[in-house]
Amino acid sequence: MTEAVSALREPLVDGQKTLRAVTNDICRPLEGRPTRLWMAGFVVAVTMLIVGGASILYTMATGIGTWGLNPTVGWAFDITNFVFWVGIGHAGTLISAVLLLFRARWRTGVNRSAEAMTIFAVMCAGLFPLIHMGRPWLAFWVFPYPNDRGSLWVNWRSPLLWDVFAISTYFLISLTFWYLGLLPDLATLRDRARGGLRKTLLRVASLGWNGSTRTWHRYEHTSLLLAGLATPLVFSVHTIVSFDFATSVIPGWHTTIFPPYFVAGAIFSGLAMVLTLMLVARKVMALESYITKRHIGAMCKLILGVGGIVATAYATEFFIAWYSGNPYEQFAFFNRARGPMAGFYWMMVFCNVLVPQVFWFRKVRENLWLVFACSLLINVGMWLERFVIIVTSLHRDFLPSSWSSYQPTAIEVLAFVGSFGLFFTCFLLFCRFLPVIAIAEIKGVLGYARRGGAAGHEMASPARDREEVMT
Amino acid sequence: MGHHHTHGDAPDPGTPSRRDFLKLAGFSLAAVALPGCSRSEELAATFLMKPEEVTPGLAERYAAACSGCDAGCGLLVTVRDGRPIKVEGSADHPLNQGRTCPIGQASVLEVYDDQALRTPRLAGKETTWERLDAAVTQALAEARANGRGVRVLTGTQSGPGEQAAVRALLAGHADARHVMVDTPSCSALRKAYAAFLGAPRLPRYRLENAHELLAVDADFLGTWLSPVEMTRGYTAARRLEVGRAFCHHTHVEARVSLTGGCADRRIRMHPAQMLATIDTLADLVAQAQGGRAPWEHGDNGTDAAPWLRETAERLVKAPRGRALVLCGRDDVGTQQRVAWLNHALGADDAALAHRTIDLAYPSQQALGDDDELLTLLADLERGAVDVLVIAGTNPVHDHPEGERFRAALGRVKLTVAVTRQLDATASAATAVAPMPHALASWSDAEPVHGLLTLGQPTLAPWGQERPLLESLAAWRGAPQGAREQLREAWRATVFPLVEGAASFESWWARCVHDGHAVVPREPLPVAWREKAELTAPVSPPRGLLAIVHPTVALRSSRHAHNPWLQELPDPLTKVSWDNAACLAPATAARLGAGDGDVVRVTRGKDVVELPVSVQVGQAEDTVALGRGYGVLGTDRFAKVGPTWLEGEPTVATGEPVGVRTEALLGEPVVDIVRAGRRRPLARAQIYDRLDVPAHLAPRGQARRPHVQHTTLAAWREEPGAGAPHAHPDSGSLWDDDHAYEGAHWGLAIDLARCTGCAACVVACQAENNIPVVGRDEVRRQRDMHWLRIDRYFEGDGDDLSVSHQPMMCQQCDNAPCETVCPVLATVHSEEGLNQQVYNRCVGTRYCSNNCPYKVRRFNWFEYWQGSELAHLVLNPDVTVRTRGVMEKCTFCVQRIQARKAEAARSGTTWSDGDIQTACMQVCPAEAVVFGDMNDPQSAVSRAGAMPRAYRVLDELGVRPSVSYLRRVTDRESAPGSSPDAAARESHHD
Repeated sequence: MTEAVSALREPLVDGQKTLRAVTNDICRPLEGRPTRLWMAGFVVAVTMLIVGGASILYTMATGIGTWGLNPTVGWAFDITNFVFWVGIGHAGTLISAVLLLFRARWRTGVNRSAEAMTIFAVMCAGLFPLIHMGRPWLAFWVFPYPNDRGSLWVNWRSPLLWDVFAISTYFLISLTFWYLGLLPDLATLRDRARGGLRKTLLRVASLGWNGSTRTWHRYEHTSLLLAGLATPLVFSVHTIVSFDFATSVIPGWHTTIFPPYFVAGAIFSGLAMVLTLMLVARKVMALESYITKRHIGAMCKLILGVGGIVATAYATEFFIAWYSGNPYEQFAFFNRARGPMAGFYWMMVFCNVLVPQVFWFRKVRENLWLVFACSLLINVGMWLERFVIIVTSLHRDFLPSSWSSYQPTAIEVLAFVGSFGLFFTCFLLFCRFLPVIAIAEIKGVLGYARRGGAAGHEMASPARDREEVMT
Repeated sequence: MGHHHTHGDAPDPGTPSRRDFLKLAGFSLAAVALPGCSRSEELAATFLMKPEEVTPGLAERYAAACSGCDAGCGLLVTVRDGRPIKVEGSADHPLNQGRTCPIGQASVLEVYDDQALRTPRLAGKETTWERLDAAVTQALAEARANGRGVRVLTGTQSGPGEQAAVRALLAGHADARHVMVDTPSCSALRKAYAAFLGAPRLPRYRLENAHELLAVDADFLGTWLSPVEMTRGYTAARRLEVGRAFCHHTHVEARVSLTGGCADRRIRMHPAQMLATIDTLADLVAQAQGGRAPWEHGDNGTDAAPWLRETAERLVKAPRGRALVLCGRDDVGTQQRVAWLNHALGADDAALAHRTIDLAYPSQQALGDDDELLTLLADLERGAVDVLVIAGTNPVHDHPEGERFRAALGRVKLTVAVTRQLDATASAATAVAPMPHALASWSDAEPVHGLLTLGQPTLAPWGQERPLLESLAAWRGAPQGAREQLREAWRATVFPLVEGAASFESWWARCVHDGHAVVPREPLPVAWREKAELTAPVSPPRGLLAIVHPTVALRSSRHAHNPWLQELPDPLTKVSWDNAACLAPATAARLGAGDGDVVRVTRGKDVVELPVSVQVGQAEDTVALGRGYGVLGTDRFAKVGPTWLEGEPTVATGEPVGVRTEALLGEPVVDIVRAGRRRPLARAQIYDRLDVPAHLAPRGQARRPHVQHTTLAAWREEPGAGAPHAHPDSGSLWDDDHAYEGAHWGLAIDLARCTGCAACVVACQAENNIPVVGRDEVRRQRDMHWLRIDRYFEGDGDDLSVSHQPMMCQQCDNAPCETVCPVLATVHSEEGLNQQVYNRCVGTRYCSNNCPYKVRRFNWFEYWQGSELAHLVLNPDVTVRTRGVMEKCTFCVQRIQARKAEAARSGTTWSDGDIQTACMQVCPAEAVVFGDMNDPQSAVSRAGAMPRAYRVLDELGVRPSVSYLRRVTDRESAPGSSPDAAARESHHD
């Protein structure tokens, strides 16, 4: 196989890795005892999960009144967290599906963990619409299923119902796509396992992968098909989430720009979260060779670009408020920028508009500490964005008599902390039990491939790798 | 008597049948609750055979007397299965004409007070009636033998039966007096007339006849004398009809009262200036009439303020008899000047049918005499009184000298308190005789000379409570049922006056049935003494004055145990579960105190610490303090409200609700300092104004047009005047979702009539089982009232405008709530109602977020429905909602359904006005009209078609079913109607 190799383009994997080395690098952490760092992280994550779980149970047992809500501000932390987590869950599919379609090969280093992140983030996201209900034990009523309650049906006009379908579809497709991508690696792990329960479980989980050409062929085709299916979802999910607001009558919510605005915001926040996690993972799991500065640089550039879209959306909202001549709309935006919660708005602008601008500079992109700090700030900014949209629009709406304020209680803050606990617990378990990098795919972008098989291989093939391991 | 029918019959509400009459008359003889007859009949047992007139599940309605205050309003009590669950005003009662105030509405809850006393107490221990009666009888006998003092202290008692019972008790005692006291007091007004008429007399005001009204410090729509009667008169005098006079109302006050907010011109004035203002006014009026006020004073009107000149001119120019000055000052001298002024204006001219003051048939709604109370106190202190009976009043709390009173009780051999609660007075008394709620006992009153009200029991007392009349009879040694006593008294003193009655029995049955009787009493003589000996008026000094005032919700300590009233937001401050120290912004700024900062108000040894509520439009150098708070026993409300980690109890354990301020009555000069603490107030409304904050306002559009307001002159010229600029409705692209082939329910609310009295809020609470959520929840804006009253201030200082806007579910035709519910828990009815299906609701709150009016209420917790006993007040026709579901105004759908069911059963139909929502039925101002918008002749359709009609947030296209009628006041300019609106027009075009 000949491939035009640029001498200028930086390699996607650093160092002269053999296929065996790649397999070993990625699989070994899964086969030994957990590191202390992992244990420490896991303890923290599980603690957060337990505390958050306790606060959620308390809320369910006592009432939503344990949150700082009121009739004017009926949603605050709950739906902010929901939209935040859905947003986080966007990068995975973007990276795995859209970049696959665009043949952006640098994605191979990060796609596995990005997809895992997607799934866990969507789980966290799904938690909040569930627990924000006054009677969460009846949450199953949002599903249209035949029933004997006079055959009560759901309201197809409600954006919340659209959410149910959008999120669950997204979750299922993402999970399928992720699992499909895992199959060759699960087979690798199965083959490396020395027997026992682990081997049995992996045997079942790898669905009898045998590495034949036919298997690979079908694998590649299914991946492509699923990528094609998942790509519209990247855009549809947050479009539909934005309908929760856009179809309402509340000034600051009732905005036609919301679908693209939300999609851009979601990708923006998702990339920032991927970046955050990648920077930690490459350090903790010693994967510097696979997640290189080139990956980081590419992510930074993507963030910069999407951040530009987000900033434009912010500006457009103000323009339209002015241009519409609608006094309620105008007030809503004056109130955002100068009202009692203006601090959150300007923090959001700082984090989401100003901070990404540093990525214009290569020096910054290569300074991983700075990149890490920026990615955290963008995460904060994107959470604030949703908080600003939800709370500052609600707290002062049409009738001044119902104007109100909002202050979270410790209980709902802890529920948010709990969602991070859930996310990190899942993510750490994932790091511990599944290969964080797609072994099969990363081999396709190894350095030897660039030099026409300098390391003695004709082509990068996981199938060969398997033989190599077996011999 | 049409409304007295039960659901079961009534072919024609207009003509009572003989059967109905006998049935209702029969009630007084044989039905469920007859504590007055003989004790044996109190036994509650299941009927073996169903009595013809009692059908389980169907409401009965009985006339009764309102116990809210002493104004003597008549009630019609809805009784379901032997328990009263709702009260309405009695429609043919001449005073309240079918309406009540918020306190009257809430009084039904007090029937089910589980803390009210059930057993008699002697020397701090529970005892039996025999022992208590023996002790009292013996003490009375000893007092009679020794010629020692015996006193009976009550609230106003005007009924012939009750007066006779007291007289009979005191008969034979050498030193005996019956002292009456009112809280709040009208003593000075009544006594002022003694100088002109020879005896104290309380004028009866006929506001409906007024064309020109000046009120000085009299909150007659909210708390003064007889608010429902006054409100009815006031709104009648201000009816907006072409070619009809509109009563112009000038109001002078220091604090901001409900009445002041309704005035066409409100003058903010320190109390120290009020006497001089009345003097000057008297001069101006006298000069205009070519005379001079018959008293010496410094000012002769030469430097009168322009408003005062204008007011004097208006008063004089008004048709004779139609000008009226009301004064609520607690000073005989001041009231005499006002009485003279009214006489000069011809307000009390007996020759004029349209006179605004009736002295020949005076009011007897406040017979209390403050001086007599002080005399009593002196008598007690010098040990001259051996037996003191205190009934239905609580001087230890209510009187500024309460502490002295308590101490003086120690010098009385036997004090017996006849009371419902172990209040401050009862706990200092030797003996406590529990009395039942007014709806569980017989009572009578004569609130106006010649108008008698009769209260009958609608259920038996819960424990051993005994009506006052029976206690008095027992103590004089002649035990007799309350009903028998009343019958005897009425037979002896009232029946002889009645013309054309066949027999006493039939007349009495009629009285019981009606709850009132108008008898042709002789008019009292009115011989006006022109050369009256006037009392020297007393004016408070300039300086920081404490103004202790009754509040609309409580009015006095009497109802402090009522959680509905404690939670009712004050119509002006919107504070519930607390009284506050209201300060003018300038005074507050001088103190450096803001809302919620606790201040210490001190006069000598009396100290009151209260959180500040900054009140625009209040006179500087005054601190207004609500009374009726800090009542003993209100620590019971510590249990009210949800208990959770960050929740605060409504009151701290052992602490009462609010702070007693009665010690500062009498407008003393006080010192105020900051106490260095904060106590954030629980307010149902945080942002007070229609103008959005200036720095957030779109250019030229600071004022939100939800309350439209125009001037009388503009309205007379063009009935549609005052409409803000609006874009024409371009219609919808979609077909209408709903045909509304039957009825299409709608509501119209006239903002020109609404006074903001909040009766509708409590009526709605009573009708719809709305829970009490407690202070902490209100502080979190989670009050559950389905109907709230939005109160907006505009302008400030001298130019304050107060608007009240009742706001409930607008039952939109294009309801934003309906589309967003994922589970179809809120759906549109064929008749235009947005129905909330409680048991389908999962509680996403999306509907509430998307409601532009924010009228939906969420059950954040499993809210308190009162004690187990108080569950009996729940309306069985309305679901009690559980935690986690949304609820809201239903347009009283249970009443609609009941009427429709009855129509279906009887094969008839309903006509306009048959179905009334609770808010419509109670409104003393008749500001609310409910009906079928599909019927072009219905009152609601006619109101909605008026040029004054508009819909709030119409521009959103949600098509609300509630119309508001533009507010009209007789001002020079109305807020938001002129320059701002003009600016808006130019901005748009």
